Amino acid sequence: MSETATATGWYVFGIVEAGARVDGVELVRNGDLAAIVSQVDLAEFGHEALRERLNDRAWLEDTALRHADVLQRVAAEHAVVPLRFGTIYDERSDVTGLLETRGDDFRAALEHVRDRVELGVKVWIDRARFEHSLADAPEHEESAGRAYMLRKQNEQRAAAEAAERLAQLAQGLHAQLSALAVDAVANRPQPRELTGRDETMLLNAAYLVPRGDTRLEAGVAGLQAAYAELGVSFEITGPWPPHNFVDTRDGRP
Amino acid sequence: MSVVEAPHLQEQVTLLELVDRVLNRGVVVTGDITLAVADVDLVYVGLRVLLSSVATLDEAG
Repeated sequence: MSETATATGWYVFGIVEAGARVDGVELVRNGDLAAIVSQVDLAEFGHEALRERLNDRAWLEDTALRHADVLQRVAAEHAVVPLRFGTIYDERSDVTGLLETRGDDFRAALEHVRDRVELGVKVWIDRARFEHSLADAPEHEESAGRAYMLRKQNEQRAAAEAAERLAQLAQGLHAQLSALAVDAVANRPQPRELTGRDETMLLNAAYLVPRGDTRLEAGVAGLQAAYAELGVSFEITGPWPPHNFVDTRDGRP
Repeated sequence: MSVVEAPHLQEQVTLLELVDRVLNRGVVVTGDITLAVADVDLVYVGLRVLLSSVATLDEAG
């Protein structure tokens, strides 16, 4: 390939073993590891250009989708360590340097995710319905008048109590689902401004499960049936590449 | 680009899922990277973009 006036960088999607075969993207190999790369135009992906474009929602969405799509296709066939969006090197030799310096981390991460997939579970709650169900369930039999008074008092405490109960509920659900997974992560629930939904996101979790294992899906279905009356609904997505299970910085394997 | 064609996606990927995965997760490499955009906290960049676009939609609606 001849030198052109256009400067190119090396966008890295993820890391696989050197023997992997991947269509549509390049592999930069070093020893037993390979980086999945694509050469990008620095006029678009250079430092300044990128900062500018991150504020362009359509561009961000398209580019993030491409990142996800490449990793999705690779993960269908190979163990892969996803890198975060926007990892770009100036030189090909920088990419081999990465494989060199972080090789042990990548090998450990590949072993952790091999033959496993990530499933996403979002749990949504209709808060009004949940608080109502709390207020409607006095702990003891009471006279009608007493029950009414209690209910009025309960309404005042309802918001505070509900927040506490919601936190407990989220922890409980996550613990039950984690028991069905090899590894689990609870991310911060997304705010309503972002989700655009009336329900509150109660739990925003990811689970690493053996490929083809249906226990987590069955577990979610069981919880959905048990909690539907409380205004709780479950959403399961995947299988995803193991984006949530390769971060070596915060003590994860 | 059509993500729907990806063989193993059950549904079209939403930006909400991308925030949880592509933008906010995955290995972050630092060190001798020349264009260290990984250091930018993309989820906040993304959220700011998203929040402002949600607000715009609301105003338009």
